[in-house]
Amino acid sequence: MRIEYKVPGGKLVAAETAVELGLIKKVKISGDFFMYPEATIIDLEEAITGTCVEDLESTIIDFFESRTTQLIGVSPNDFIHVIRLSLASAP
Amino acid sequence: MIDTWRLIDMRIEDAYTQMAIDEAIAFARNRGETPNTIRLYRWKPSAVSVGYFQSLENEVDIEECRRQGVDVIRRITGGGAVFHDYEGEITYSLVAPDSDPKIPTDIIESYQIICGCIIDGLKELGVDSEFKPVNDIVADGKKISGNAQTRRYGVVLQHGTVLVDCDAKKIFSILKVSGVKISDKAIKSAEERLTNVRKYLGRNVSFEDARAALIKGFERGFNIRLKPGKLTPYEEGLVDEYRKRYKSREWVYQR
Repeated sequence: MRIEYKVPGGKLVAAETAVELGLIKKVKISGDFFMYPEATIIDLEEAITGTCVEDLESTIIDFFESRTTQLIGVSPNDFIHVIRLSLASAP
Repeated sequence: MIDTWRLIDMRIEDAYTQMAIDEAIAFARNRGETPNTIRLYRWKPSAVSVGYFQSLENEVDIEECRRQGVDVIRRITGGGAVFHDYEGEITYSLVAPDSDPKIPTDIIESYQIICGCIIDGLKELGVDSEFKPVNDIVADGKKISGNAQTRRYGVVLQHGTVLVDCDAKKIFSILKVSGVKISDKAIKSAEERLTNVRKYLGRNVSFEDARAALIKGFERGFNIRLKPGKLTPYEEGLVDEYRKRYKSREWVYQR
């Protein structure tokens, strides 16, 4: 389910996810934040897709530690937070 | 010595061409094919642009756009959705190498510097405004300009909207206000967060006057002279190529 989260003092970030047998089968992130370079979002979604729900946090932390990405209006923790909200609301 | 930058002045095109021009200048600038450039432009037909990361269907009433003949486009820059009303706004864009001493390396600082030119231009018209991080300019605490920047091809490309007039009813018939069904109350509260040059000054300001003021703002802000010019044939070729991508369903509906 698509869940929106307004980062306090920041931008809007939303996540739509699908889970199957404890694996994240699909994730789509959207919002009015800034990320440089922009195409990093596609790599981020790919990195998350196929991981265990329990590994979400470490996957996202590792992802941003392993490359130079600049985020404005959103943080790695905000991505974790909104994706968790979306996973928790899965039917 | 004062640097001379190119000015592409008030070209009126549709959304796909406008976004293709901005990207073409950025690409050509990196190739050394073209000078630093400021553009001022208007969108015809009126269009809504969403930020690179935005979910189109959650931000825009696509059916309503179709009904009103409003184009829908996705930008290469992040940030929020903007309604580019042909009768209500001027868009600017700036392209310069990211190594240019006039452009701070820090992204938020560079927003502030570039927005400073817009603030100076607004001042010229009599509008007191200020920069509101990350990417807005406000007057009386209400948004009068939204801005978005990307860095790619070794250049800074920033574009933004300056509201000259504003039909709030029209804007909010097209943009979806986050999760809320459009009621009169929602329009009113959203309307209260926006202002524009004519509303602020309480008089009719022509596009010509607004244009001239923005040019002054850029010239003073960067200590440059803007020399009117045209796109090069190389850039025009890129525009034709990029325009197809901007118009494609795969691009517009990717998120």
